[in-house]
Amino acid sequence: MKRGGGRGASSRSSLCILISIIVAAALLSTPVASDLVISKLDRRVDLTSQIVRITSTLKVKCTGPEPVPEMLVAYPDHQAKFMNLLLSTATEGKGKPTGSVSIRPVQPNGVPPAHTWFLLTFPKQLETGESIIINVFAAFTRVLQLFPEKITQSENQMVVFQDSGYYLSPYLVKVQSLSFKLPEGKIESYTKLENSKLSKNEIKYGPYENIPAFQQSPVAIHFVNNLPFAVAKELVREIEVSHWGNVQVTEHYNLFHGGAQSTGEFSRLDYQARDRGAAAFRSLVAKLPARAHSIYYRDAIGNISTSNIYGDNTQTLLQIEPRYPMFGGWKTSFTIGYGLPLHEYLFYSDGKRLLNVSFGCPIDDVVVEKLIVKIVLPEGSTDIFAAVPFPVQQSEETKFSHLDMVGRPVVVLEKRNVVPEHNLPLQVSYKFSVFSLLREPLMLITGFFLLFVACITYMNADLTISKYSPSYLAKLQWDEVQAAIQQVQNIIYRSLTIHDKLEGSLRDLSRTGDVQVCKAVRKTADGSFKELSKELKPLLTFLQSSAQALPIFSKVDDLVAKERDLQEKVMLKHSTVVDSYEKKSGRDIENKIILIQQKISTLRKELDELLDIIDEI
Amino acid sequence: MSLKPISSPVPVVWYPTLAVFMLAIGLIVTASFFIYEATSSKRNRSLAKELTTGAVASVFLGFGSLFLLLASGVYV
Repeated sequence: MKRGGGRGASSRSSLCILISIIVAAALLSTPVASDLVISKLDRRVDLTSQIVRITSTLKVKCTGPEPVPEMLVAYPDHQAKFMNLLLSTATEGKGKPTGSVSIRPVQPNGVPPAHTWFLLTFPKQLETGESIIINVFAAFTRVLQLFPEKITQSENQMVVFQDSGYYLSPYLVKVQSLSFKLPEGKIESYTKLENSKLSKNEIKYGPYENIPAFQQSPVAIHFVNNLPFAVAKELVREIEVSHWGNVQVTEHYNLFHGGAQSTGEFSRLDYQARDRGAAAFRSLVAKLPARAHSIYYRDAIGNISTSNIYGDNTQTLLQIEPRYPMFGGWKTSFTIGYGLPLHEYLFYSDGKRLLNVSFGCPIDDVVVEKLIVKIVLPEGSTDIFAAVPFPVQQSEETKFSHLDMVGRPVVVLEKRNVVPEHNLPLQVSYKFSVFSLLREPLMLITGFFLLFVACITYMNADLTISKYSPSYLAKLQWDEVQAAIQQVQNIIYRSLTIHDKLEGSLRDLSRTGDVQVCKAVRKTADGSFKELSKELKPLLTFLQSSAQALPIFSKVDDLVAKERDLQEKVMLKHSTVVDSYEKKSGRDIENKIILIQQKISTLRKELDELLDIIDEI
Repeated sequence: MSLKPISSPVPVVWYPTLAVFMLAIGLIVTASFFIYEATSSKRNRSLAKELTTGAVASVFLGFGSLFLLLASGVYV
């Protein structure tokens, strides 16, 4: 009994383990079959450029008893390999957005091979009987197969696009339709299913009803697509911020025509006169911000003048023409650059600076295989953080530019396979002190000041090797003599200004008649003269004793004597005039001083001549 | 979180005028410095005067050349 019970318990427990393993396995693998039904599906494929954009609108309904949080979508591998972007939004009823749908790639079991699967998680669980509208947008590059792969100048470029006529889904699709929008009406062939219809530049498939899960029906369209297949192998965008008022954008393009290879020879005559070369493109248009200035367009050999700028209040359009028309497989590389006003792109918030610029390529419909965005921040920026709305590879480096000492921090953002939909704003926040702004002018000022200091040192330095040679000693003495003569000159000039002051006081007297002021002026002048003669004395004795000064001492002496004479005369004139004013005998002033005045002017003349002679020495 | 646009400390349109005037003043002061160096004799020269003239000249030349760079599109 005991034994049997034991046996029974063990077999029951092993059964439990088996069941739990099965349940666990079922939970681990993503459930494929579920209670969802796609009640309406609309797929629109835009083939009007080199980028294929597929927009699917799915009306999903939950029919099972349990609420469903997520659903699966699939893209064939030959498309998914070249998928650049996958976005999804959910709307409820009448186009009211209800929130974002998160997407992650999964690998479910029991599905047809050669497909890539994505799991979309609804904003909220889908209850029984409820429905939701899911929009899925996907952009692909290089899924248009060139057929033929090589064409001559006069041929059209043709491509093939393959898809499934029925939507591949693990769910039952009640009603579905599919439409292809083509660049022009020229179609070589297309797969005809029931209910397929070709209008001018659109092919419609469907509506098809009640297509079971996993049903496919391949569809291929072979059509003419002469639109520019401009592909940038590498685009480096350098955005340099200067707090002195500019955001400089420089873009280095390495472009090629990614369409059908051109074979045979190229005839410029056929191209220009007979208009042969439909698959080539002549120009590109870059959409720049409205306030862009100092725009340039050049390549390795220099400025390219075939460009044009026009625009309005919202944007500036830069139309650029490469040096030759671009045929399939042809390459060109060029640089465009422009400046943007700082106050539209740089903001201050919570103690940090915030730069807001766009990420992608400004030229329309260019696919960028490798985009590198370098944001060069001013020297002295710290705490740098870049926020980009999609995953990119980030790194940092330093750049040395004008007037840099430690280099500018650079945020490098790298992304592969960029389509125009990636042209979104990105933010870089960093800390920057105002003192760092003054670094450049301070450097320039220091540089100039060092130059002046060098001049001063050179002028004051004594570079003579033999300090006791007679010529050197003579030079030293001569320097002393020169210095003394300069001082004497200075004193003479000072006393001459005092003379002028005295004359001025006399003029004032004739106008105002204020004798007292005049006397006060004379008194101070007298004092200054005494001081000056005191200063003059040691200089004169030095000059007299110095051998070097011998040839010019007579002149200096003469100068001093003349000055003294002049000084006396001026004082005499002054006192005479003042006296006569005091005695009110104004009539004969003129007569009295006329002689003195003559002497003064001759002395002054002689003095000036002497000063000139001494100056020349 | 409020965003306040950041502009340059000096309006961008003033740069050419500032460059011309500050360089002119700087060059005049430089000229006076060199005239002083060349004409005054070694003994009469005053170091303080030389240094102040040099400093004033270098401030004007420094800012002048900065504004010249900015006005010509070299945003340092």
